[in-house]
Amino acid sequence: MTDVAVSVNHLTFSFGHREVLKDLSLQIPTGIAFGLLGPNGAGKTTLIRLLVGLLKPKSGDIHILGQLISRKKALFIGYMPQLQSLYNELTVRQNVEFFARIYRLHDKAKRTQQVEKVLKLVDLWERRNDAVQSLSGGMKQRTSMACAIVHNPPLLFLDEPTVGLDPELRVSFWEFFSTLTKQGATLIISSHTMDDAAHCDRLGFIRDGKVIAEGTPNELKLATGTAQTSLEDAFLYFVRQGKDARND
Amino acid sequence: MTDAVWIIAKRVINQIGRDHRTVAMILIVPLVVMTLIGLSFPDLRVLDYIAPALLAALALFFGFLLTGISFLRERSQGTMERLTVSPVTRLDIVVGYLCGFFVFALIQTFIILFYTIYVFDINYRGQLWEILVFQMVVIIGAVNLGIFISSFARNEFQMVQFIPLVILPQMFMGGLLWPVEQMPDYLQWFAHILPLTYAVDGMREIMLNGMNLLDVWVDLAVQAGFAMLTSVLAAITLRKGAVG
Ligand SMILES: Nc1ncnc2c1ncn2[C@@H]1O[C@H](COP(=O)(O)OP(=O)(O)OP(=O)(O)O)[C@@H](O)[C@H]1O
Ligand SMILES: [Mg+2]
Repeated sequence: MTDVAVSVNHLTFSFGHREVLKDLSLQIPTGIAFGLLGPNGAGKTTLIRLLVGLLKPKSGDIHILGQLISRKKALFIGYMPQLQSLYNELTVRQNVEFFARIYRLHDKAKRTQQVEKVLKLVDLWERRNDAVQSLSGGMKQRTSMACAIVHNPPLLFLDEPTVGLDPELRVSFWEFFSTLTKQGATLIISSHTMDDAAHCDRLGFIRDGKVIAEGTPNELKLATGTAQTSLEDAFLYFVRQGKDARND
Repeated sequence: MTDAVWIIAKRVINQIGRDHRTVAMILIVPLVVMTLIGLSFPDLRVLDYIAPALLAALALFFGFLLTGISFLRERSQGTMERLTVSPVTRLDIVVGYLCGFFVFALIQTFIILFYTIYVFDINYRGQLWEILVFQMVVIIGAVNLGIFISSFARNEFQMVQFIPLVILPQMFMGGLLWPVEQMPDYLQWFAHILPLTYAVDGMREIMLNGMNLLDVWVDLAVQAGFAMLTSVLAAITLRKGAVG
């Protein structure tokens, strides 16, 4: 294991003529929860899709767990897309079971145990035999999460995992995330909310395809110069700074 | 064969199996079609002639449509993205789908076969296993064609409109209802570039004339070639949509 889970150097990406990521560099150490914060359209999802290998960079390089990104790493990566990507006709359990098998949990006893564990974790054990299409939005979100974590990946990309969750579940999800990082897993979590941000070990503020600030929540707050700022203020501070720099 | 193939095949079967109306239609539609044809051609010889062709045509139609729509959904609902990120290969996915749909196509083949044999009292001469092997090759081509074409459709409406474009001409020109030899020259030329023409011919030779797979090697080779061509096309376009 290297101590850098994800290393991005001078990454550029465009959809057609629209340049979405601009010379983006980022180092994410292992064993932490890293928050990607930024407004709608900042490029969070695009960055995550590049990191899991769904998109190819226009220029720059990406190292995952110490190696240039490749399919060999697929087993070690968990990915929860922003849109709930599930088989709607199948039950909650069938969905999770399918991804468990796709990720080679071949031993039946172990797999059953693992599926049961994650279903309880996302609080869907009671609804395990319901078709996904009959679930509420938040429940679908939790099913999607269960599918992403069922194989215990050391590197987990979660694109807005807490959207649509009630406060109680949010809290229990963050508790679970911290048990994962304590076990040595690395989590990369995108979000808009500063509530999520406060739970992360490190944060990257993204705007217009660039990292405008990076550090621990405390460092970012301190950088604004006033001790009592919230993360929200800190984000706005960096956004304004970026604008000023551009206007100079 | 890797485990992933069976896992995907099982999921495809599960998914369709849980949709009871679709299952019912898969079972009933061939019966309705055969009955309608049986009633409209009171001369049983005509039915004799049409049933083998219909086996091939329905395999093409359902293989194409079911795979096309399923794949379209896989793309649009984002599960394709998940599969792409996972350790399964493109080949696993294509072959998995193939195995899954083969089960349903096989059931249809048996239904048509037994219905025509027992209800319409028709005599077939070919070997059952040779009929099935030939059908299997037809289905491989159809399933891959469905995967390939689905990458050109953004939604179900568009997918369904590929039927009159891709499937209907083959049904009309491929010798299903009237012999290719009775068509005008230029249409015959056209018929001979359609894969279904060879599928229909092969099935008839096996079932009506009792030929074996070696006798119909040209038809079989054309089907195999078509299946190979469509698998390559399917594999190339597989990740489209997932890649964005
Ligand atoms: N498939 C696509 N084709 C063209 N442009 C795209 C595509 N996907 C995203 N974009 C563009 O890329 C930019 C960044 O989008 P992205 O989805 O990465 O933002 P985001 O930070 O995840 O936003 P959100 O918070 O809304 O999820 C946007 O301007 C968007 O319009
Ligand atoms: Mg996003």
